[in-house]
Amino acid sequence: MKKSMIIALAGNPNSGKTTIFNELTGMRQHVGNYPGVTVEKRSGELDHKDYHIEIIDLPGIYSLTAFSEEEIVSREFILESSPDVVINIIDSSNLERNLYLTVQLLELGVPMVLDFNMADVAKKRGMKVDKKLLSELLGMPIVETIGPRGDGIDELLDAAIGVVQRKDKKRIEISYGDEIENELEKIISALSRDFDMEKGTGSRWFAVKLLEQDSEVEKRLRGIDEKKFQNLKEAVTNSINHINNIMRDSTEVLIADSRYGFIKGALHEAHEEADTDNTDITEKIDSILTNRFLGIPIFALILWLMFQFVFTIGKYPMDWIGIGFEKLSILLNSVISHQLLRSLVVDGIIGGVGGVIVFTPNIALLFFSIALLEDSGYMARAAFVMDRVMHRVGLHGKSFIPLIIGFGCTVPAYMGSRILENKKDRLITMHINTFCSCGARLPVYILLAGTFFPAIAGNIIFSIYLIGIIFAIIMAKVLRATRFKGEMEPFVMELPSYRIPTMKGILIHTWERVWMYVKKAGTIILAISILMWIMFTFPIISESEYSEDYILQMDELQRSHEAGDITEESFLSEISIIEGKMEAEKLEFAVAGRAGKFIEPVFRPLGFDWKMVVASISGMAAKEVIVSSFGTLFSMGEADETSEGLQEKIKANYHPLVGYNFMLFTLLYFPCLASMAVFRKEAGTKEMLFQMAYTIALAWAVAFIVYQIGRLFI
Amino acid sequence: MFGRKRKARRAIGYRSIPMTLADAMPGREYRILKINGGHKLNSRLYAMGLMPDEKFMVYTSSRGGPMIIVVKGSRFALGRYMTGKIIIEEV
Repeated sequence: MKKSMIIALAGNPNSGKTTIFNELTGMRQHVGNYPGVTVEKRSGELDHKDYHIEIIDLPGIYSLTAFSEEEIVSREFILESSPDVVINIIDSSNLERNLYLTVQLLELGVPMVLDFNMADVAKKRGMKVDKKLLSELLGMPIVETIGPRGDGIDELLDAAIGVVQRKDKKRIEISYGDEIENELEKIISALSRDFDMEKGTGSRWFAVKLLEQDSEVEKRLRGIDEKKFQNLKEAVTNSINHINNIMRDSTEVLIADSRYGFIKGALHEAHEEADTDNTDITEKIDSILTNRFLGIPIFALILWLMFQFVFTIGKYPMDWIGIGFEKLSILLNSVISHQLLRSLVVDGIIGGVGGVIVFTPNIALLFFSIALLEDSGYMARAAFVMDRVMHRVGLHGKSFIPLIIGFGCTVPAYMGSRILENKKDRLITMHINTFCSCGARLPVYILLAGTFFPAIAGNIIFSIYLIGIIFAIIMAKVLRATRFKGEMEPFVMELPSYRIPTMKGILIHTWERVWMYVKKAGTIILAISILMWIMFTFPIISESEYSEDYILQMDELQRSHEAGDITEESFLSEISIIEGKMEAEKLEFAVAGRAGKFIEPVFRPLGFDWKMVVASISGMAAKEVIVSSFGTLFSMGEADETSEGLQEKIKANYHPLVGYNFMLFTLLYFPCLASMAVFRKEAGTKEMLFQMAYTIALAWAVAFIVYQIGRLFI
Repeated sequence: MFGRKRKARRAIGYRSIPMTLADAMPGREYRILKINGGHKLNSRLYAMGLMPDEKFMVYTSSRGGPMIIVVKGSRFALGRYMTGKIIIEEV
């Protein structure tokens, strides 16, 4: 029987932590979320020697303050789940900054192993470390690794097990200088008196955090005893004022200074920095990629290449999957004899789920590209380059990426919003993403613009895209000023050194996303598809309820065909006209048709009739479905955006103004239910409902104004 | 607007207004004197190595836009909200 232990990985962003995690666990990874927050929780398992080890990859952080969700999550995990060992991964070429987190972890009192990662880079730069001495000074073992090559991974695990087995636990304490230590002493006494805390590492950590005015720690103590906390808070405030007065500097600076002092002291003895010229390759690349004039054109070029890659190459596997589903439909059509069941499987399930699965290659290629940009270090530069432009709109430089993806498909765009660490930035970006008109809406524009404005269809479609972008900008500003008020997250971001990404890392990342997407198609989208099918099928019209006796008409046609009165060709076309009429009446009779008629009055002021309403309802499943719905509604049977019969019917029924208005409406209301399912997963039910409600309201309002004003001129 | 004010200041040689990172010129070395953020933001910046007394190089700056600086061997991009909050002096 193997013994089990838990190891947590902690480290700065860009310390190569993810590479180490991938090396440790390979494909045996699990991605979830920490409860209540959007921070990803990655874990994996492995066996080493006598141990079965669970590895938790904590998010990349610079410190253990309460600045971001990531920091709070990491801290809570270490405090609450008390892992057996924390492996702190360090960028060996940047020891001083990286060790700042180490010192804070040390103060938490967890058993630790230091992983000096990217040892090769440090060596190349001529840095020398006396590992033995430094390990003594810090009170923890040090192991060197080279992440992408997997060097030192076994030694790392050996060291972790060694720490767990060792009995005598040596504690290194950072001294903050007499003044602060005196005040810490007082706070620790108060903590042990009022909050039953043992004097020791734990209460010392709480005391330091109180001096740092850490909001989470305050909240926790307040939760234990409000009144005692107030007294404590008063004492802490006095302490802070006292320190500030005597030292003539703020407590945070003094505390941070002591930590850096401790690090510098240790490094001074055990570390030798070479005097090599640090003008490395990163600097050279950056002088081009972040250049004032070249930066944006280069970014545009990279995006263009990415789009080509995702949509041009993705087109082939997409077509194969499409053909596969078509073949499957034909097969099932002949296999399933029960008419209703066949319709459910072929029209409902394959039509719905298949329509989503078809996008899988796009999703895979897209996340492959994103992982490539992220892991190489370019993403941070893209954010830097775009920050100035996006800032004017009240957004973050990184917001640009999901917004651009949204022109392809909104589903990966919502998933891509994760690159925004700040919640407000992320939510605003997600809420306006729908106005970047996705590819599924294009068939609708082609149909209507081609119908009403054949000579200038291109310009009309362009105007719709442009209006979308204008609304994105307006709504970003409105949302920033209302629901997501407050100063923007200050833009501070480390620009990591450029490096060649590992294939393993990129593939793992891509696979995770693709799997998440496919799982969604199999569950929530399946359910939605069935629901839509029910709405468009039931109640079923009986023969006597048709407005004309179609069966009789068909029989007559059959007879005259057999008698040789009409040609084969005209027989088939007559039959399909009748079938089309029957389909239209079936739909009119079903829940969807009735609902369309019922809510028609609401859409009358926009110039829409019930058919447009039904088409819009069906568009919730996927917007390209609007086109085929029009086909059914105008009894055209199977139709696509270029079929002339359908165009004539539509032209005869609606004024061009209504046609344009319908395009606007299609542009503005939320993309589709599949995307809403992803939205819910990323941002929660409340935000999803807000997205649906406000986009429908906005679409209605805009279409109302356009129609009512436009009517005056026609 | 921002730029004009700065130019005017330089022309008069008015030195009592503290210099912020927004005024820094690329290629030169400066020292951080103070960071006027809340304690949360300050703690975060300290953890990233942006501390009072720390010297740094300005790498790229575009007027009114974000800039890149090099501190403790790491490069950071800072947005313009930030740059106005960091008080510096030339070394």
